[in-house]
Amino acid sequence: MNLSTFFSAAVISATALFTTQSSANDVTLPDLNGQVIVAVTENAYTPLNFIDPKTGNGIGWEYDAFNEIAHRLNAKVDWQLSSWDSMIQAVKQGQFDVGMDGITINDERKKEIDFSMPYMVSQQFMLVREDEGRFEEHTGFANNSDLLIGAQPGTTNFYVAVYNVLDGDENNSRIQLFETFGASVQALKSGDVDMVLMDASSAKGYMGANPGIFKIIGEPLGTEEFGFILTPGSKLTDAINAAIVSMKEDGTLEALNQKWFFDYQH
Amino acid sequence: MIKKRSLSTLPWWLLFTVIIGLLLSWNIVSDQNYTQIFNTLSKGLWTTISVTLIAFMLATLVGLVVALAGFSRFSLIRQVATFYVEIIRGIPVLVILFYIAFVGAPEMVNFYNWALQDLIEHNIISAARTRDFSMLWRAIFALSISYSAFLAEVFRAGIQEIDKGQIEAGKALGLNGWLRFRFIIFPQAIKKILPPLGNDFVAMIKDSALVSVLGVQDITQMGKVYSASTFQFFETYNVVAFMYLVLTLSLSLIIRGLERYLRRNEKH
Repeated sequence: MNLSTFFSAAVISATALFTTQSSANDVTLPDLNGQVIVAVTENAYTPLNFIDPKTGNGIGWEYDAFNEIAHRLNAKVDWQLSSWDSMIQAVKQGQFDVGMDGITINDERKKEIDFSMPYMVSQQFMLVREDEGRFEEHTGFANNSDLLIGAQPGTTNFYVAVYNVLDGDENNSRIQLFETFGASVQALKSGDVDMVLMDASSAKGYMGANPGIFKIIGEPLGTEEFGFILTPGSKLTDAINAAIVSMKEDGTLEALNQKWFFDYQH
Repeated sequence: MIKKRSLSTLPWWLLFTVIIGLLLSWNIVSDQNYTQIFNTLSKGLWTTISVTLIAFMLATLVGLVVALAGFSRFSLIRQVATFYVEIIRGIPVLVILFYIAFVGAPEMVNFYNWALQDLIEHNIISAARTRDFSMLWRAIFALSISYSAFLAEVFRAGIQEIDKGQIEAGKALGLNGWLRFRFIIFPQAIKKILPPLGNDFVAMIKDSALVSVLGVQDITQMGKVYSASTFQFFETYNVVAFMYLVLTLSLSLIIRGLERYLRRNEKH
Protein backbone atom coordinates (compact mmCIF):
# COMPACT_ATOMS: atom_id res chain seq x y z
CA MET A 1 0.00 0.00 0.00
CA ASN A 2 1.52 3.34 -0.91
CA LEU A 3 1.51 6.38 1.30
CA SER A 4 -1.18 8.39 -0.39
CA THR A 5 -3.73 5.57 -0.30
CA PHE A 6 -3.16 4.82 3.33
CA PHE A 7 -3.50 8.47 4.16
CA SER A 8 -6.70 8.68 2.22
CA ALA A 9 -8.01 5.70 4.16
CA ALA A 10 -7.33 7.47 7.44
CA VAL A 11 -8.81 10.78 6.44
CA ILE A 12 -11.83 9.37 4.65
CA SER A 13 -12.81 7.55 7.79
CA ALA A 14 -12.49 10.81 9.72
CA THR A 15 -14.81 12.47 7.23
CA ALA A 16 -17.31 9.64 7.46
CA LEU A 17 -17.41 9.90 11.22
CA PHE A 18 -18.28 13.55 11.20
CA THR A 19 -20.80 13.19 8.43
CA THR A 20 -22.76 10.66 10.43
CA GLN A 21 -22.62 12.71 13.60
CA SER A 22 -23.38 16.18 12.36
CA SER A 23 -27.04 16.97 12.30
CA ALA A 24 -28.81 20.01 11.01
CA ASN A 25 -27.21 22.34 13.50
CA ASP A 26 -27.66 26.03 12.94
CA VAL A 27 -27.86 27.01 16.60
CA THR A 28 -25.61 29.97 17.32
CA LEU A 29 -22.54 29.06 19.34
CA PRO A 30 -22.25 29.89 23.05
CA ASP A 31 -20.42 33.10 23.93
CA LEU A 32 -17.83 32.62 26.68
CA ASN A 33 -17.22 36.38 27.05
CA GLY A 34 -13.47 36.30 26.75
CA GLN A 35 -12.99 33.53 29.34
CA VAL A 36 -9.47 32.15 29.52
CA ILE A 37 -9.27 28.42 28.84
CA VAL A 38 -6.11 26.75 30.16
CA ALA A 39 -5.21 24.16 27.54
CA VAL A 40 -2.43 21.62 27.76
CA THR A 41 -0.51 19.41 25.38
CA GLU A 42 2.95 17.88 25.24
CA ASN A 43 4.40 18.84 21.83
CA ALA A 44 5.57 15.31 21.22
CA TYR A 45 2.95 13.98 18.77
CA THR A 46 3.65 15.07 15.22
CA PRO A 47 1.62 16.42 13.48
CA LEU A 48 -1.06 16.93 16.14
CA ASN A 49 1.21 18.85 18.49
CA PHE A 50 4.95 19.33 18.09
CA ILE A 51 7.57 22.02 18.10
CA ASP A 52 8.51 23.68 14.88
CA PRO A 53 12.27 22.94 14.73
CA LYS A 54 12.84 26.29 13.05
CA THR A 55 11.15 28.51 15.63
CA GLY A 56 10.87 26.32 18.72
CA ASN A 57 7.15 27.16 18.99
CA GLY A 58 4.42 24.58 19.45
CA ILE A 59 2.39 24.02 16.29
CA GLY A 60 0.14 21.35 14.78
CA TRP A 61 -3.38 20.18 14.05
CA GLU A 62 -4.60 20.37 17.64
CA TYR A 63 -3.18 23.87 18.17
CA ASP A 64 -4.96 25.16 15.09
CA ALA A 65 -8.17 23.34 15.90
CA PHE A 66 -8.39 24.45 19.50
CA ASN A 67 -7.40 28.05 18.79
CA GLU A 68 -10.23 28.11 16.24
CA ILE A 69 -12.66 26.60 18.75
CA ALA A 70 -11.75 29.28 21.29
CA HIS A 71 -12.07 31.97 18.64
CA ARG A 72 -15.59 30.82 17.77
CA LEU A 73 -16.60 30.72 21.42
CA ASN A 74 -15.09 34.15 22.17
CA ALA A 75 -12.55 32.68 24.58
CA LYS A 76 -8.82 33.02 24.98
CA VAL A 77 -6.43 30.07 25.21
CA ASP A 78 -3.63 29.91 27.74
CA TRP A 79 -1.38 27.16 26.33
CA GLN A 80 0.52 25.06 28.86
CA LEU A 81 2.76 22.03 28.58
CA SER A 82 2.68 18.76 30.42
CA SER A 83 3.90 15.28 29.68
CA TRP A 84 1.71 12.45 28.46
CA ASP A 85 2.31 10.52 31.71
CA SER A 86 0.65 13.13 33.84
CA MET A 87 -1.83 14.82 31.53
CA ILE A 88 -5.03 12.93 32.36
CA GLN A 89 -4.38 13.16 36.09
CA ALA A 90 -3.56 16.87 35.90
CA VAL A 91 -6.72 17.70 33.94
CA LYS A 92 -8.77 15.60 36.33
CA GLN A 93 -7.50 17.68 39.23
CA GLY A 94 -8.25 20.94 37.47
CA GLN A 95 -4.63 21.89 36.85
CA PHE A 96 -5.73 22.51 33.27
CA ASP A 97 -9.20 23.00 31.76
CA VAL A 98 -8.69 20.95 28.65
CA GLY A 99 -6.01 18.55 27.42
CA MET A 100 -5.19 17.12 24.02
CA ASP A 101 -2.53 14.72 22.82
CA GLY A 102 -4.26 12.38 20.41
CA ILE A 103 -6.08 10.89 23.39
CA THR A 104 -8.26 7.92 22.50
CA ILE A 105 -11.77 7.99 23.90
CA ASN A 106 -12.40 4.87 25.96
CA ASP A 107 -14.53 3.78 28.90
CA GLU A 108 -11.62 3.40 31.29
CA ARG A 109 -10.65 7.01 30.81
CA LYS A 110 -14.26 8.20 30.87
CA LYS A 111 -14.34 7.16 34.53
CA GLU A 112 -11.54 9.61 35.23
CA ILE A 113 -12.26 12.60 33.01
CA ASP A 114 -14.83 13.98 30.58
CA PHE A 115 -14.34 13.78 26.83
CA SER A 116 -15.46 16.11 24.08
CA MET A 117 -17.04 14.53 21.04
CA PRO A 118 -14.42 12.93 18.76
CA TYR A 119 -12.48 15.30 16.51
CA MET A 120 -10.44 12.74 14.62
CA VAL A 121 -10.27 9.07 13.84
CA SER A 122 -6.94 7.35 14.02
CA GLN A 123 -5.97 4.01 12.60
CA GLN A 124 -2.85 2.01 13.28
CA PHE A 125 -0.55 0.73 10.58
CA MET A 126 2.20 -1.89 10.70
CA LEU A 127 5.67 -0.40 10.38
CA VAL A 128 8.37 -2.98 9.59
CA ARG A 129 11.93 -3.02 8.29
CA GLU A 130 12.30 -2.48 4.55
CA ASP A 131 13.59 -6.05 3.97
CA GLU A 132 10.81 -7.76 5.98
CA GLY A 133 9.46 -10.75 4.04
CA ARG A 134 8.22 -13.14 6.73
CA PHE A 135 4.70 -11.73 6.95
CA GLU A 136 2.46 -9.46 4.92
CA GLU A 137 -0.48 -8.75 7.19
CA HIS A 138 -1.28 -8.98 10.90
CA THR A 139 -2.49 -12.60 10.86
CA GLY A 140 0.81 -13.70 9.35
CA PHE A 141 2.55 -11.81 12.13
CA ALA A 142 0.36 -13.36 14.82
CA ASN A 143 0.92 -16.91 13.56
CA ASN A 144 4.71 -16.78 13.78
CA SER A 145 5.54 -16.93 17.47
CA ASP A 146 9.15 -15.82 16.88
CA LEU A 147 8.05 -12.34 15.88
CA LEU A 148 8.00 -9.57 18.45
CA ILE A 149 6.16 -6.27 18.57
CA GLY A 150 7.29 -3.03 20.24
CA ALA A 151 4.78 -0.84 22.10
CA GLN A 152 4.37 1.70 24.90
CA PRO A 153 2.27 0.49 27.83
CA GLY A 154 -1.14 2.14 28.14
CA THR A 155 -1.22 3.71 24.70
CA THR A 156 -3.33 2.98 21.65
CA ASN A 157 -0.57 1.07 19.89
CA PHE A 158 -0.28 -1.22 22.91
CA TYR A 159 -4.01 -2.02 23.05
CA VAL A 160 -4.29 -2.56 19.31
CA ALA A 161 -1.27 -4.89 19.51
CA VAL A 162 -2.93 -6.88 22.29
CA TYR A 163 -6.52 -7.02 21.05
CA ASN A 164 -6.32 -6.68 17.27
CA VAL A 165 -3.08 -8.45 16.46
CA LEU A 166 -2.28 -10.88 19.28
CA ASP A 167 -4.50 -12.99 21.54
CA GLY A 168 -5.91 -10.41 23.96
CA ASP A 169 -3.43 -11.22 26.72
CA GLU A 170 -1.95 -7.98 28.01
CA ASN A 171 0.98 -9.92 29.45
CA ASN A 172 1.83 -11.61 26.17
CA SER A 173 5.60 -11.99 26.09
CA ARG A 174 5.67 -11.15 22.40
CA ILE A 175 5.10 -7.50 23.29
CA GLN A 176 8.27 -5.65 24.18
CA LEU A 177 7.47 -2.54 26.17
CA PHE A 178 9.27 0.75 25.66
CA GLU A 179 9.04 4.03 27.51
CA THR A 180 8.78 6.22 24.43
CA PHE A 181 7.66 5.82 20.88
CA GLY A 182 11.11 6.64 19.54
CA ALA A 183 12.64 3.84 21.58
CA SER A 184 10.37 1.23 20.01
CA VAL A 185 11.29 2.52 16.55
CA GLN A 186 14.98 2.29 17.43
CA ALA A 187 14.37 -1.28 18.59
CA LEU A 188 12.67 -2.05 15.27
CA LYS A 189 15.63 -0.60 13.41
CA SER A 190 18.15 -2.68 15.35
CA GLY A 191 16.13 -5.91 15.05
CA ASP A 192 15.04 -6.24 18.69
CA VAL A 193 11.42 -6.23 17.57
CA ASP A 194 9.88 -6.97 14.18
CA MET A 195 6.93 -4.61 14.00
CA VAL A 196 5.65 -1.38 15.55
CA LEU A 197 2.11 -0.11 15.22
CA MET A 198 1.61 3.58 14.60
CA ASP A 199 -0.75 6.05 13.07
CA ALA A 200 -0.28 7.21 9.53
CA SER A 201 1.33 10.54 10.26
CA SER A 202 3.97 9.13 12.60
CA ALA A 203 4.77 6.39 10.11
CA LYS A 204 5.23 9.01 7.42
CA GLY A 205 7.59 10.94 9.69
CA TYR A 206 9.77 7.95 10.55
CA MET A 207 9.97 6.77 6.95
CA GLY A 208 10.91 10.27 5.81
CA ALA A 209 13.62 10.63 8.47
CA ASN A 210 15.06 7.16 7.75
CA PRO A 211 14.93 6.66 3.98
CA GLY A 212 15.12 3.03 2.88
CA ILE A 213 14.87 1.63 6.42
CA PHE A 214 11.14 1.16 7.04
CA LYS A 215 7.97 0.35 5.14
CA ILE A 216 4.26 0.06 5.85
CA ILE A 217 2.45 -3.24 5.22
CA GLY A 218 -1.04 -4.66 5.68
CA GLU A 219 -4.42 -3.06 6.23
CA PRO A 220 -5.22 -0.40 8.83
CA LEU A 221 -6.04 -1.81 12.27
CA GLY A 222 -7.94 -0.69 15.33
CA THR A 223 -9.98 2.39 14.56
CA GLU A 224 -9.74 4.82 17.48
CA GLU A 225 -11.44 8.15 18.11
CA PHE A 226 -9.52 11.08 19.57
CA GLY A 227 -11.23 13.52 21.92
CA PHE A 228 -10.30 16.53 24.02
CA ILE A 229 -10.20 15.71 27.73
CA LEU A 230 -11.89 17.99 30.25
CA THR A 231 -12.10 18.28 34.02
CA PRO A 232 -15.05 16.14 35.23
CA GLY A 233 -18.30 18.13 35.15
CA SER A 234 -16.68 20.88 33.09
CA LYS A 235 -19.03 23.58 31.82
CA LEU A 236 -16.91 23.86 28.68
CA THR A 237 -17.81 20.47 27.22
CA ASP A 238 -21.06 21.49 25.51
CA ALA A 239 -19.59 24.68 24.10
CA ILE A 240 -16.55 22.86 22.70
CA ASN A 241 -18.78 20.17 21.17
CA ALA A 242 -20.89 22.82 19.49
CA ALA A 243 -17.77 24.43 18.05
CA ILE A 244 -16.50 21.06 16.77
CA VAL A 245 -19.80 20.46 15.01
CA SER A 246 -19.70 23.87 13.36
CA MET A 247 -16.09 23.35 12.25
CA LYS A 248 -17.02 20.01 10.77
CA GLU A 249 -19.91 21.49 8.87
CA ASP A 250 -18.03 24.35 7.27
CA GLY A 251 -15.06 22.18 6.29
CA THR A 252 -12.55 23.67 8.75
CA LEU A 253 -11.50 20.27 10.11
CA GLU A 254 -11.13 18.92 6.59
CA ALA A 255 -8.85 21.85 5.75
CA LEU A 256 -6.76 21.12 8.84
CA ASN A 257 -6.37 17.49 7.77
CA GLN A 258 -5.17 18.68 4.40
CA LYS A 259 -2.78 21.19 5.97
CA TRP A 260 -1.12 18.91 8.53
CA PHE A 261 -1.41 15.41 7.06
CA PHE A 262 -0.68 16.15 3.41
CA ASP A 263 0.84 19.58 2.84
CA TYR A 264 3.12 20.07 5.85
CA GLN A 265 6.77 19.38 5.14
CA HIS A 266 9.20 18.65 7.96
CA MET B 1 57.92 21.02 47.50
CA ILE B 2 57.82 20.42 43.78
CA LYS B 3 56.42 17.07 42.82
CA LYS B 4 57.55 15.48 39.61
CA ARG B 5 54.60 14.34 37.61
CA SER B 6 55.06 11.00 35.97
CA LEU B 7 52.89 9.87 33.07
CA SER B 8 50.91 7.55 35.31
CA THR B 9 49.73 10.36 37.61
CA LEU B 10 48.61 12.62 34.76
CA PRO B 11 44.84 13.05 34.97
CA TRP B 12 44.20 11.11 31.78
CA TRP B 13 40.49 10.93 32.40
CA LEU B 14 40.33 14.71 32.38
CA LEU B 15 42.35 14.94 29.18
CA PHE B 16 40.08 12.46 27.42
CA THR B 17 36.98 14.19 28.74
CA VAL B 18 38.17 17.52 27.42
CA ILE B 19 38.97 16.02 24.01
CA ILE B 20 35.54 14.38 23.74
CA GLY B 21 33.93 17.64 24.88
CA LEU B 22 35.83 19.64 22.25
CA LEU B 23 34.89 17.19 19.50
CA LEU B 24 31.22 17.36 20.43
CA SER B 25 31.38 21.14 20.74
CA TRP B 26 32.92 21.32 17.29
CA ASN B 27 30.12 19.11 16.02
CA ILE B 28 27.53 21.46 17.51
CA VAL B 29 29.17 24.51 15.96
CA SER B 30 29.85 23.07 12.51
CA ASP B 31 26.86 20.78 11.88
CA GLN B 32 23.70 22.79 11.26
CA ASN B 33 21.53 19.96 12.47
CA TYR B 34 23.35 19.73 15.79
CA THR B 35 23.32 23.51 16.14
CA GLN B 36 19.55 23.50 15.90
CA ILE B 37 19.19 20.69 18.43
CA PHE B 38 21.55 22.48 20.79
CA ASN B 39 19.67 25.78 20.48
CA THR B 40 16.35 24.13 21.22
CA LEU B 41 17.67 22.11 24.15
CA SER B 42 19.41 25.15 25.64
CA LYS B 43 15.97 26.42 26.61
CA GLY B 44 15.77 23.50 29.03
CA LEU B 45 19.28 24.04 30.39
CA TRP B 46 18.31 26.86 32.72
CA THR B 47 15.34 24.88 34.03
CA THR B 48 17.56 21.90 34.82
CA ILE B 49 20.09 24.12 36.59
CA SER B 50 17.58 26.07 38.63
CA VAL B 51 15.50 23.02 39.56
CA THR B 52 18.64 21.24 40.77
CA LEU B 53 20.06 24.24 42.61
CA ILE B 54 16.88 25.13 44.49
CA ALA B 55 16.06 21.49 45.24
CA PHE B 56 19.57 20.85 46.48
CA MET B 57 19.53 23.85 48.80
CA LEU B 58 16.17 22.79 50.23
CA ALA B 59 17.35 19.19 50.55
CA THR B 60 20.49 20.33 52.40
CA LEU B 61 18.38 22.35 54.81
CA VAL B 62 15.89 19.58 55.51
CA GLY B 63 18.66 16.98 55.60
CA LEU B 64 20.61 18.94 58.18
CA VAL B 65 17.54 19.41 60.36
CA VAL B 66 16.72 15.71 60.15
CA ALA B 67 20.32 14.74 60.94
CA LEU B 68 20.39 17.02 63.99
CA ALA B 69 17.02 15.67 65.06
CA GLY B 70 18.65 12.24 64.99
CA PHE B 71 20.99 13.42 67.72
CA SER B 72 18.22 14.90 69.84
CA ARG B 73 18.09 13.99 73.48
CA PHE B 74 14.36 13.21 73.11
CA SER B 75 13.75 9.67 71.97
CA LEU B 76 10.54 10.58 70.10
CA ILE B 77 12.34 13.12 67.89
CA ARG B 78 15.11 10.62 67.17
CA GLN B 79 12.54 7.98 66.21
CA VAL B 80 10.70 10.36 63.90
CA ALA B 81 13.95 11.36 62.20
CA THR B 82 14.96 7.75 61.59
CA PHE B 83 11.46 6.90 60.34
CA TYR B 84 11.63 9.77 57.85
CA VAL B 85 15.04 8.74 56.53
CA GLU B 86 14.16 5.06 56.17
CA ILE B 87 10.83 5.67 54.47
CA ILE B 88 11.95 8.37 52.04
CA ARG B 89 15.25 6.68 51.18
CA GLY B 90 13.41 3.49 50.28
CA ILE B 91 11.03 5.00 47.72
CA PRO B 92 12.22 5.73 44.16
CA VAL B 93 12.48 9.40 43.23
CA LEU B 94 10.06 8.86 40.36
CA VAL B 95 7.39 7.53 42.70
CA ILE B 96 7.86 10.38 45.17
CA LEU B 97 7.53 12.75 42.24
CA PHE B 98 4.11 11.33 41.37
CA TYR B 99 3.06 11.29 45.03
CA ILE B 100 3.92 14.94 45.56
CA ALA B 101 2.46 16.06 42.23
CA PHE B 102 -0.85 14.23 42.37
CA VAL B 103 -1.49 13.42 46.01
CA GLY B 104 0.58 15.85 48.07
CA ALA B 105 -0.03 19.05 46.14
CA PRO B 106 -3.84 18.74 45.85
CA GLU B 107 -4.02 17.81 49.53
CA MET B 108 -1.98 20.87 50.44
CA VAL B 109 -4.31 23.07 48.40
CA ASN B 110 -7.33 21.45 50.08
CA PHE B 111 -5.76 21.94 53.48
CA TYR B 112 -5.03 25.60 52.71
CA ASN B 113 -8.63 26.17 51.65
CA TRP B 114 -9.96 24.31 54.67
CA ALA B 115 -7.71 26.14 57.14
CA LEU B 116 -8.59 29.54 55.75
CA GLN B 117 -12.23 28.90 54.90
CA ASP B 118 -13.51 31.73 57.09
CA LEU B 119 -11.30 34.28 55.40
CA ILE B 120 -12.23 32.87 51.98
CA GLU B 121 -15.95 33.09 52.70
CA HIS B 122 -15.58 36.72 53.63
CA ASN B 123 -13.65 37.41 50.45
CA ILE B 124 -10.60 38.56 52.39
CA ILE B 125 -8.40 36.13 50.48
CA SER B 126 -9.27 34.03 47.49
CA ALA B 127 -9.41 30.26 47.50
CA ALA B 128 -6.37 28.45 46.13
CA ARG B 129 -6.79 26.29 43.05
CA THR B 130 -4.66 23.24 42.32
CA ARG B 131 -3.39 24.92 39.21
CA ASP B 132 -1.80 27.72 41.23
CA PHE B 133 0.71 25.16 42.47
CA SER B 134 2.88 24.78 39.41
CA MET B 135 4.33 21.48 38.25
CA LEU B 136 7.78 23.06 38.44
CA TRP B 137 7.48 23.63 42.20
CA ARG B 138 5.94 20.21 42.79
CA ALA B 139 8.97 18.74 41.01
CA ILE B 140 11.36 20.82 43.11
CA PHE B 141 9.67 19.75 46.36
CA ALA B 142 9.70 16.10 45.37
CA LEU B 143 13.40 16.18 44.50
CA SER B 144 14.18 18.01 47.76
CA ILE B 145 12.31 15.49 49.86
CA SER B 146 13.88 12.51 48.06
CA TYR B 147 17.39 13.79 48.52
CA SER B 148 16.96 15.18 52.03
CA ALA B 149 16.97 11.61 53.36
CA PHE B 150 20.29 10.83 51.69
CA LEU B 151 21.81 14.10 52.79
CA ALA B 152 20.62 13.53 56.36
CA GLU B 153 22.65 10.31 56.38
CA VAL B 154 25.67 12.13 54.97
CA PHE B 155 25.43 14.74 57.74
CA ARG B 156 24.86 12.09 60.41
CA ALA B 157 27.96 10.17 59.34
CA GLY B 158 30.04 13.35 59.26
CA ILE B 159 28.92 14.47 62.69
CA GLN B 160 29.35 11.03 64.24
CA GLU B 161 32.97 10.94 63.10
CA ILE B 162 33.83 13.76 65.48
CA ASP B 163 35.61 12.48 68.54
CA LYS B 164 33.45 12.56 71.67
CA GLY B 165 36.36 14.07 73.58
CA GLN B 166 36.19 17.20 71.46
CA ILE B 167 32.58 17.78 72.38
CA GLU B 168 33.36 17.25 76.03
CA ALA B 169 36.24 19.69 75.72
CA GLY B 170 33.78 22.18 74.26
CA LYS B 171 31.45 21.62 77.17
CA ALA B 172 34.34 22.11 79.57
CA LEU B 173 35.06 25.45 77.91
CA GLY B 174 31.47 26.44 78.66
CA LEU B 175 30.31 26.50 75.03
CA ASN B 176 26.58 25.94 74.56
CA GLY B 177 25.09 23.53 72.00
CA TRP B 178 25.02 25.98 69.12
CA LEU B 179 28.53 27.27 69.71
CA ARG B 180 29.88 23.73 69.99
CA PHE B 181 28.23 22.93 66.64
CA ARG B 182 29.46 26.14 65.04
CA PHE B 183 33.11 26.05 66.19
CA ILE B 184 33.96 22.43 66.95
CA ILE B 185 31.68 20.02 65.15
CA PHE B 186 30.91 21.83 61.89
CA PRO B 187 34.45 22.80 60.80
CA GLN B 188 35.62 19.21 61.23
CA ALA B 189 32.51 17.56 59.85
CA ILE B 190 32.44 19.65 56.68
CA LYS B 191 35.63 17.98 55.44
CA LYS B 192 34.08 14.54 55.84
CA ILE B 193 30.77 15.68 54.44
CA LEU B 194 31.90 17.50 51.34
CA PRO B 195 32.85 14.52 49.11
CA PRO B 196 29.61 12.55 49.60
CA LEU B 197 27.64 15.81 49.43
CA GLY B 198 29.19 16.60 46.06
CA ASN B 199 28.46 13.07 44.95
CA ASP B 200 24.78 13.51 45.76
CA PHE B 201 24.70 16.86 43.97
CA VAL B 202 26.00 15.21 40.79
CA ALA B 203 23.44 12.42 41.21
CA MET B 204 20.72 15.00 41.63
CA ILE B 205 21.59 16.78 38.39
CA LYS B 206 21.01 13.49 36.64
CA ASP B 207 17.89 12.60 38.60
CA SER B 208 16.43 16.00 37.80
CA ALA B 209 15.76 14.48 34.36
CA LEU B 210 12.87 12.65 36.05
CA VAL B 211 10.93 15.91 36.39
CA SER B 212 10.24 15.58 32.67
CA VAL B 213 7.47 13.10 33.55
CA LEU B 214 5.54 16.08 34.92
CA GLY B 215 6.15 17.99 31.71
CA VAL B 216 8.63 20.40 33.27
CA GLN B 217 10.60 21.76 30.34
CA ASP B 218 14.07 20.64 31.38
CA ILE B 219 16.81 19.33 29.08
CA THR B 220 15.33 15.83 28.96
CA GLN B 221 11.80 17.00 28.21
CA MET B 222 13.07 19.35 25.50
CA GLY B 223 15.00 16.41 24.04
CA LYS B 224 11.92 14.19 24.16
CA VAL B 225 9.86 16.84 22.42
CA TYR B 226 12.50 17.73 19.85
CA SER B 227 13.16 14.14 18.84
CA ALA B 228 9.43 13.50 18.57
CA SER B 229 8.99 16.28 16.05
CA THR B 230 12.13 15.66 14.00
CA PHE B 231 12.37 11.86 14.39
CA GLN B 232 16.10 12.25 15.11
CA PHE B 233 16.49 10.33 18.33
CA PHE B 234 20.16 9.44 18.09
CA GLU B 235 21.35 12.98 17.36
CA THR B 236 19.09 14.57 19.97
CA TYR B 237 20.12 12.27 22.78
CA ASN B 238 23.80 12.83 21.90
CA VAL B 239 23.27 16.49 22.68
CA VAL B 240 21.21 15.70 25.81
CA ALA B 241 24.04 13.52 27.13
CA PHE B 242 26.60 16.16 26.24
CA MET B 243 24.75 18.86 28.18
CA TYR B 244 24.41 16.71 31.31
CA LEU B 245 28.10 15.76 31.07
CA VAL B 246 29.17 19.39 30.88
CA LEU B 247 27.10 20.11 34.00
CA THR B 248 28.21 17.11 36.04
CA LEU B 249 31.89 17.19 35.07
CA SER B 250 32.32 20.87 35.76
CA LEU B 251 30.63 20.37 39.11
CA SER B 252 32.95 17.45 39.89
CA LEU B 253 35.94 19.66 39.14
CA ILE B 254 34.65 22.44 41.40
CA ILE B 255 34.13 19.99 44.25
CA ARG B 256 37.61 18.49 43.82
CA GLY B 257 39.05 21.98 43.95
CA LEU B 258 37.09 22.75 47.10
CA GLU B 259 38.27 19.56 48.77
CA ARG B 260 41.87 20.36 47.90
CA TYR B 261 41.43 23.85 49.32
CA LEU B 262 40.05 22.51 52.61
CA ARG B 263 42.83 19.96 52.88
CA ARG B 264 45.49 22.62 52.29
CA ASN B 265 43.97 24.80 55.02
CA GLU B 266 44.18 21.90 57.41
CA LYS B 267 47.97 21.83 57.23
CA HIS B 268 48.37 25.43 58.46
